[in-house]
Amino acid sequence: MSSSLPVTNALQSIVPDGVLVRGRTVLCSGDAAMSTALLLVCAATQAGSWLAIVGVRDLGLMSACEQGVALQRTVLVTPTDNKKDWTSTVAAVADGFDVVMLEVPRDVSESDARRIQTRIQARRNVLVLVETSRQPVARSVFQPDVVLHTATASWQGIEHGAGYVQSRHIDVTVSGRRVPRAVQHVLQHVG
Amino acid sequence: MSKQKNEQIVASDTTRVAVILCTDWQAVAAQCELYTRKQWFDAVAVLHAQRVVARTAYAAKQGVQIGMRRREAQAVCPELHIAANNPERDRLMFEPVVRAVSELVPLVEVSTPGFILLATRGPSRYVGGDVALAQRLHSITHDALSLLADGRPIAFGVGIADGRLTAHVAAHAAAGRYVVIEPDDSAKCLAQLPVSVLADFAEIDRDVVSLLHRLGLSFLGDLVAMKLSDLVGRFGPVGQEIHRLARGFDRHPPITIAPPPERASTHRFELSVEDVNVVVTTARQVADELVSHLSSQGVSCVRLHVCMQTDHGEQSDRLWYQPEGLSAAAMAERVRWQMDAWVATRGLTSGVVLLRYSPVGLRARAGRQLGLWGGSTQADEWAARAVERLTAMLGSDSVRVAQWRGGRDVGEAFALTPAAVVDMERRAGSVITKETVWNGALPTPSPSIVYDEPLSAVVNDECGSEVSVSGRHELSAPPAHVQIGRHAYNVVSWAGPWPVEERWWDPLRQRRAIRMQMVLARDAVGTTRTTTHAVLMVLEHGEWWMTARYG
Repeated sequence: MSSSLPVTNALQSIVPDGVLVRGRTVLCSGDAAMSTALLLVCAATQAGSWLAIVGVRDLGLMSACEQGVALQRTVLVTPTDNKKDWTSTVAAVADGFDVVMLEVPRDVSESDARRIQTRIQARRNVLVLVETSRQPVARSVFQPDVVLHTATASWQGIEHGAGYVQSRHIDVTVSGRRVPRAVQHVLQHVG
Repeated sequence: MSKQKNEQIVASDTTRVAVILCTDWQAVAAQCELYTRKQWFDAVAVLHAQRVVARTAYAAKQGVQIGMRRREAQAVCPELHIAANNPERDRLMFEPVVRAVSELVPLVEVSTPGFILLATRGPSRYVGGDVALAQRLHSITHDALSLLADGRPIAFGVGIADGRLTAHVAAHAAAGRYVVIEPDDSAKCLAQLPVSVLADFAEIDRDVVSLLHRLGLSFLGDLVAMKLSDLVGRFGPVGQEIHRLARGFDRHPPITIAPPPERASTHRFELSVEDVNVVVTTARQVADELVSHLSSQGVSCVRLHVCMQTDHGEQSDRLWYQPEGLSAAAMAERVRWQMDAWVATRGLTSGVVLLRYSPVGLRARAGRQLGLWGGSTQADEWAARAVERLTAMLGSDSVRVAQWRGGRDVGEAFALTPAAVVDMERRAGSVITKETVWNGALPTPSPSIVYDEPLSAVVNDECGSEVSVSGRHELSAPPAHVQIGRHAYNVVSWAGPWPVEERWWDPLRQRRAIRMQMVLARDAVGTTRTTTHAVLMVLEHGEWWMTARYG
C-alpha cells in the first residue's frame, strides 16, 4: 500500500507535500469548503480508492460528478442521531474506505474525535472534514493535520442580468499541525 | 414453439398461488399510525428521497401521483399530510394481517409489507375450493384491517391464479373484492395484459417496457408468441426473464440440478436467547455458512423458509422471497424482521432455542466473469464488505449510492439507491457519470450545496417591492435585496431569469418555475471585508426559494 493518495493538479501546490498522506486528517472550512473537499478527493477516487461520504448534508452530487469524483466508488452513509452509534458508524466506515469525508455533528466529544483519528491513523485512511456551518465544530474537537480555510474573493462570468457563474477566485489559507507557518494561496475554481 | 404448446407448459409447471395485496401500503401504514395517535387524515402521502412513493386512495383521487415532489403534491391536494418513509412502521402495521392469515395458512410469504403470497394447494382443499379460500382470505384480511382503523375502509384485493405475476395482477384488479382465475384461464388472461404490467408488478426496467411498446409488442401474448432465442438475442438475460414472466413463471428459472446435500442449516442455542441482537448476530454467522455452501454449489437462494422455536414450544415460520437471491446479510435482516414481528405481537414468551434456514427456492448463480487481471481490487472487496456491514448496522436506506436519473434540477439528476441492492464490485468497474445534458438544465459548473429542503426567501427590488416575473418571463425589476431567514443580503450581480416549463401537457404534474443565479453580499460582522455567496434562487407558485449554493 502506497503511503499517499494523489490530489488533482490544481491543489498540488497548495496541499503540503502535494499529496494526501495516509493517516492524516484534513479540514476544509470557510465558504468554499464543500467544493474544496470534493476537489481534494477526486483524484484519489479516480485512482481506485473508495470514498465514503458520512453525514454530509445537502451535498450536490452533480457538482461532485463534474469535479471528477468517481461516483461508482462513492457511498453515501447517513448515520443515526445517536452519538454512540455515530462513533461506531464512522469506525465501521474507516474499516472499508480509503477516504472518509465527514461532517461533524455538534455534540461530538473530544475523546470520540481522538478515537476516530487514532483509528484513521492505524488504518492508514485519509479523513476529510467538511465544515459548512458557521460554528467551527470540527476544529474544536478534532486535531487536523492540515486546515484549508477558504474565502471567496471574486466571482467571474456573472453580471447584472447577463452571463452565468463560470469561475471564482478563492483565497485559501493553509495551516494546521503539519504546516509550520500558515500560507496563503489563490485557487481558481468553482462548484 | 407454437402458442398451444406454451400454454400447456403454463398449465402444468406453475404453482397455484393466492395473493393478498394492499396497494400503497406505506401510505396506509402511515395513516393507521397517525390514527393510533388519535389523528385521522384522509389524504396521506409518504415521501422518500423528496418524492412521493405512496399515497392513500383519497389522495390519489385528488391527483397526488407517485413521483411527485412535496410542493407539487401539496399544490394539487392542500389538505395532504406528508409522512416520512419508515419501513419499520410498514412491517409492524402489517403484522396483524399476516398473523390473521397465518392462523388459516401456517406458512405465508411476505416479500414486502402489503403483499402476502401463499400456495393454495393445501388450504384450498381444506376450506373447499379456490373460491371458498378467496372468500375466507378476503374476510380475514378485511377484519384485520378494519381493526387497524376502526372500520374505516382500507383498499385491498385478493387474487388466486397460476403463477406469481398472474395472481398479483388479479389481486390488483380485484380492488376490494376477490378474483379467482380458473387454472385453464390463467395463461389466456395473462396473454391479454399489456406489457406495462412487467414494470408495475415484476420490477422490469421501464426502458425495456417502453422498447417493447415501440417494437409493437403491446401484450404479454405477443411475447409468448415470440421465440425465446429472438428475445434473448435482442434483450440479453432480460429477454429470458420477460419471456418467463409472460408465460406465468417466476422471473428466474428454478434450479433443476440436484439440491446440495445439507439443504437446511439449523442452529441450536445452548441457552435460550431473548435478545434480538444476539439472535441476529448468530443468524448472520449461520447464514454466512449457508451462503458459502450454496455458492460453492453454484446456486443462490431466492426463497428462504426461516423457522424459529422457543423453549416453550412456540414456533414462528415465515417464507421470504427475493428474486435476485438472498445474501447472508439479507438473510440475517429477514430473521430480524421476523423476530421483531414476533416480539411485537407477543407471540414470544421465552427465549429462542432453535433457528433453522431452509432454502426452498434456488436459482443458478449468475456468474460474473472476472477480468484476467485488473478487475476487482482489494479495495473494491473491502468496500463491498464495509457496505454490507453498514447496511446491517444502519438499515439499507442509510447506505446509498448515486445513480444517473437525469433532469433539469441539480438535485434530481442523480438518484440515491440503497447500496444493498447494487452489486458493488461490478459497479466499481463501471463509470457513473452524466449521461446526457438535458435541455434547460443549469449551465455548468453546478452548485456543490443543494438543499434538501429549500430555504424560503424574499427578493425585493431597489424600491422594496417584491420581484415578480411576467408570463413572458420578464422580470418586474432587477433584484436588489434578498432576505433569507433572519439575514439580509444585497444583490451584487445576477443572471437569468431562466424559465423551466415541465410536463405542460399534464395539468396535474406540470411545473412552471423561474431560476436565477445571484451573487449575494453581506457585511461580515466585525470585519471590513465583504463575503459574497453565489446562490441559485427559484421562483415557483409566486414564492422565492434558495435551492442551492455554490459552496
